Amino acid sequence: MDGVLAQLANGFVDVLAPANLLALVVGLVLGLLVAVLPGLTLVMGVVLALPFTYSMDVTAAIILLTAMYVSGTYAGAWTSILFRVPGEPIDVPLLWDGYTMARKGHAAKALGWTLVAAGVGGLCAATVMVLLAHPVARIALTFSTPEYFAIIFFGLASVASLGGGSLANALISLFAGLLIATVGVDDTYGAHRFTFGVRILSDGIDYLVVMVGAFGLGEVFMRMEHRFKSAPLESVDTVSTQLPSLREASAIKGTFARGTLLGIVIGLVPGAGATVASFLSYGIEAQYGRRRELMGSGIPEGIVAPQTAATASVGGAMIPLVTMGIPGSGATAIILGAFLLHGLQPGPQVFETSSHIVYAVFASIFVGVIGMCLIGYFAARYLVRVLEFPEVIVSAYVVMCCILGAFAARNNITDVWLIVVFGVVGYLCERFRFPIAPLVLGVILGPLAETNFMTTMISFNNDWMVFFTRPISGAIMALAIVTLVYPVLRHLRRRARLPAT
Amino acid sequence: MIVARIIPYALVGAVSGYLFFTATQIEFHRRAGTLGPDVWPKLVLALLIATCLYEIVRIVLVRGRRGGAAGVLQEMVEESEAKLGGGFVYAGARSPWTLAAGIALTALYVWVIQQLGFFLATAAYVFAFIALGGYRRWGVNAAVSLIGTTLMMFFFMKVVYVSLPLGQGPFAQFTFWLMRLMGIR
Repeated sequence: MDGVLAQLANGFVDVLAPANLLALVVGLVLGLLVAVLPGLTLVMGVVLALPFTYSMDVTAAIILLTAMYVSGTYAGAWTSILFRVPGEPIDVPLLWDGYTMARKGHAAKALGWTLVAAGVGGLCAATVMVLLAHPVARIALTFSTPEYFAIIFFGLASVASLGGGSLANALISLFAGLLIATVGVDDTYGAHRFTFGVRILSDGIDYLVVMVGAFGLGEVFMRMEHRFKSAPLESVDTVSTQLPSLREASAIKGTFARGTLLGIVIGLVPGAGATVASFLSYGIEAQYGRRRELMGSGIPEGIVAPQTAATASVGGAMIPLVTMGIPGSGATAIILGAFLLHGLQPGPQVFETSSHIVYAVFASIFVGVIGMCLIGYFAARYLVRVLEFPEVIVSAYVVMCCILGAFAARNNITDVWLIVVFGVVGYLCERFRFPIAPLVLGVILGPLAETNFMTTMISFNNDWMVFFTRPISGAIMALAIVTLVYPVLRHLRRRARLPAT
Repeated sequence: MIVARIIPYALVGAVSGYLFFTATQIEFHRRAGTLGPDVWPKLVLALLIATCLYEIVRIVLVRGRRGGAAGVLQEMVEESEAKLGGGFVYAGARSPWTLAAGIALTALYVWVIQQLGFFLATAAYVFAFIALGGYRRWGVNAAVSLIGTTLMMFFFMKVVYVSLPLGQGPFAQFTFWLMRLMGIR
């Protein structure tokens, strides 16, 4: 424990170095802007910021992206509360009580509750993250390839079964991602797989191209189809934040605790990010909260529950990412990409080889949450003005950043063509309701899954039962299978309950 | 209606079938007792084909009356949105022609960027994209296109040291002149 605290203290010193502090502030402001701006989602924002970090030091790069991730879960609340325009799907639950409270003339108070909720959720989750990360990494160090494969299998299974829309579509998306990851020359045999004689395909398809194309360009094409028309904004007189008193806050400490705990747990589960945390937390409060019958009428519990959970999910999501190298959401997948781009593979070894970077990132989340609250308190009124910015102009620059990002990674124009192709794929996925996150996670985790699968097969004489007979991998595989089967059983049970027509 | 719902799965299934055949043709020196590089892609493709077939059979059997199993937590999110309202909806009507023009414009941009160089191609692209999106304040559009492209070029070439496309012939000369003006070497 003392070692962890000492390393965290060093992390704080690292964060306060001018370059890292600058990266943190830039990341926070960009995250807030992305959350407010029409046509930009949190994941898209983190994707677009990635190329700007190429020449940065790895610590500063990760700090910038993580800061964007943290603050991106907060600022969308402003537009939900003030204008009834959720900046992100995360912020939809804030319409139900936040906007209602604002309509009753307490907009400043609603913004104050959001700020406190984001601060409490973020700081508590960061504390849990620091406490859990090292023990989890120590356990992960004892894992062999079957356990690693089982963890990746569980991650991919839960992304497919917990994520958006139809389970079949999510699985198709996931398998497509795993398949894209196999394109190129195989490492072990040097065999060409799906290269079709095209030289550039021999190097494989970079996950960055898939990520930027599908998340960034795909979303722009989707909005372009609707001619970048945004919902009209309601007028507000002034934007100010009024913090709740300590007594008011302590009166709903149960809501803070439930939201934070739920956010951390949901963050830990691959495939369930801030949006799910926000909705579930609101749902639980509406079902079990002390004033559940008043939910929806503009009470603080309806703001605190979703906002604490959304921001707390960041700390939870960072644990599997840093300790096992498994991203559970779009944003953490991009942060993993940034780690890899800078030659650092997250996982249990990272605590041995580069613990100063890990703890600097951890410390940056603490500083980031506080900074986010300060910026939110003093600058919300200025930042919401970007809503007046035409969406089509933002989108034009999104495309430019996507293309620059793809080009800058390998200085190769073929990557730019691929990004356009994956942009169209991303659009088609959105259009036909195939979730994009499993596709991207499949591309990122595919090589890792294949390597661990093949190594296990070589080590255990092609006995695939080894995944089920070793205690830890067996338990994780069983959990993964339950995760996959549960939605089907739930669906069948619901269908059985429906009256015959 | 049912045919329209089946088409995406049939297409993905057919492409997967072709890729499975391609995977059987992967050339490598087989080592006794070990799995080859074709095993993993074949496994993934088999699962992909099986999922597509399952979905096609399901759509045919239920005749489009019901949806299939859905992601558990996402289903809860959608149920809450349906109950309480506020889900994200696009405000404008769908315009497939604008989308097609946008994709074509982006492809054209990628095609000409090597010839015209980053600055000219990008400034023209941003201007055309904004105009295509329905923004009609031409002066603002021109200023946004030129200033934004200049800033991006400066940042990526001077700060991040990315070698952006310079263009060919007279266009390259123009890029070099611009680079000198910005102090980029």
